[in-house]
Amino acid sequence: MNFKERFLTAMNHEEPDQVPVMGLIMDPATVNKILGKKPVDLIGMLQKPVLGNQIKNLLSSNRFWANMFYSNFSGAMDAAIKLGFDANWAVYALMKLTRDPQATVGWSWYDPYGRVWDLNTDEEGNISVNYSRALCDTEEKWEKWVEEKAPLFETMLRNVAAFHRKLVKNHGDHIYSIGYAAPGPFENSWQPIGFVNFTRLIYQKPEFVKKVIAFQTDLCLRNLEAVMKSDLEVVLGGDDLGQKTGPLMRPELIEKLYGESYRRMADLVHQHKKKFVFHSCGNIYALLNKFVEWGFDGIITMEPTAGMDLGKVREQVGHKLVLIGNLDVSYLVVKGTQQEVEDAVKKAIRDAARGGGYILSTSHCHPAVDPVRLKWMVDAAHKYGKYPIAV
Amino acid sequence: MPDNTIQQLKDAMLALDMDAALKATNDVVKSQSKPAVKEAVDAVTQALGVVGKRFQEGEWFLSELVYAGEVAKEVMALLSPLMQAEASQSRGTVVIGTVAGDLHDLGKNIFINYARSAGFKVIDLGVDVPTAKFASAVKEHKPLALGMSCLLTSTEKELGKVIEELKKQGIRDTVKVIIGGAALSERTAKDVAADAFASDAITGLDIIRKWSAAR
Repeated sequence: MNFKERFLTAMNHEEPDQVPVMGLIMDPATVNKILGKKPVDLIGMLQKPVLGNQIKNLLSSNRFWANMFYSNFSGAMDAAIKLGFDANWAVYALMKLTRDPQATVGWSWYDPYGRVWDLNTDEEGNISVNYSRALCDTEEKWEKWVEEKAPLFETMLRNVAAFHRKLVKNHGDHIYSIGYAAPGPFENSWQPIGFVNFTRLIYQKPEFVKKVIAFQTDLCLRNLEAVMKSDLEVVLGGDDLGQKTGPLMRPELIEKLYGESYRRMADLVHQHKKKFVFHSCGNIYALLNKFVEWGFDGIITMEPTAGMDLGKVREQVGHKLVLIGNLDVSYLVVKGTQQEVEDAVKKAIRDAARGGGYILSTSHCHPAVDPVRLKWMVDAAHKYGKYPIAV
Repeated sequence: MPDNTIQQLKDAMLALDMDAALKATNDVVKSQSKPAVKEAVDAVTQALGVVGKRFQEGEWFLSELVYAGEVAKEVMALLSPLMQAEASQSRGTVVIGTVAGDLHDLGKNIFINYARSAGFKVIDLGVDVPTAKFASAVKEHKPLALGMSCLLTSTEKELGKVIEELKKQGIRDTVKVIIGGAALSERTAKDVAADAFASDAITGLDIIRKWSAAR
């Protein structure tokens, strides 16, 4: 079997020749280490007065941004191929570089939804980006923001389609480049407003909350349509619905506010005869049956540091959802020994791979993930993941 | 003030009814009765205790924990000016902040809301706090506990740096150190030699309550 047949067989709850391995490689630090490339010290350049402004102007050009962003993910695909992965995720984001006195380095990315992303850098100059705060903490600010950003959403959607098509065209013979339509309606509704403000609005201004969710759902459906232009059989969507000890909201409330959105997302993907895999960090046991009910075909992540046990998830919904992930990224692929990595791979295969329906992967990614350990993980999957499973 | 006002306040908090909670609190404020204010503050503390228990038992979720904290914050804003000095006596001081390079503060702020309502004095250093600022705050405020929040794996190393700095300045033994954040675990606490790890704000508060009681 080739990588694609292997992946799709597992997605079909059947046994492929061996357990497929999916990469979640996207951080420049990881990509550069694997490919032996020197990072571009963007943050360092931004600190220089004249050069900083020139870079800002350059990044304001949609063409330059699209090329730079594509280049990072093209590198991620090359890196994943080099390590032996069958698949890797890909997500497009449109950001505007903005001077920001609250930011660690004096600059932030502002995204079209109304979120601020903090920029940071490691010792080598590799850039890392993390959601830091909301820009639209009142109804009025949110209304004004989405009205002003309407053209930017259109640019973003055009770029999404072109980005995924190009990745599949240029790398599709060697790896399954799975497009991720992220973030989903949950994150896109609360993050631009802030979790505390959004929670207050749920109780105090439910009609406004409904309006925000409806807007973000429509946008997310269009994003999914754009991602599906790559014409792959599987598409990722997602929202971080969980935190360390459970869902961020009562499951009944998530159903009430977002159930219809998720059903529409899954339905749309199915209308295109594709499969829909949902990403969520955190402890999501209480939502697993909802995922089945909403029509998802698979889930990716199952964060062990949030208490997600692969065997338990398999027992609960493994016959209905394809499971992807669960290998720890807080210790195992950062500092774990080769023996520990092998043991974790064997355990994941033992817990979830029999009969198909499991794709081995880390639970997430971050810049401190060590490529050597990722390679150990892939090698162990190849060694112990042959069907029939014998570990 | 009607006889059942305090019970109404507590019930409103547990029903997450902001309007009813503020109405009951305003009745207390209008009464100008110092014992009633103390009873109302106790009711807030008790209600948040119930909320925390419900959260830990999986009966309530983060959004409910957050909103209950918001209701408590507004109620306390009305009551605080009327509180007698002895009623606001602290169970101990907690210095808290998010480590350098990290700007996340949701968990930290939930903790602060609940800790203040539980009678702790909290010094909030904010986000992206440099090592030296943590150390000087410990020196200045002589807290019962130092809390460090850290969401990002990439900033985890800052936790160890702060603890090393406390050792270097000879003040590590004067303070208990507790860490919390999505990427952290018991293993991290052991690695950086912190005294405790809290998986959520309420667990953190429970730990600090025990430390306060054991003083």
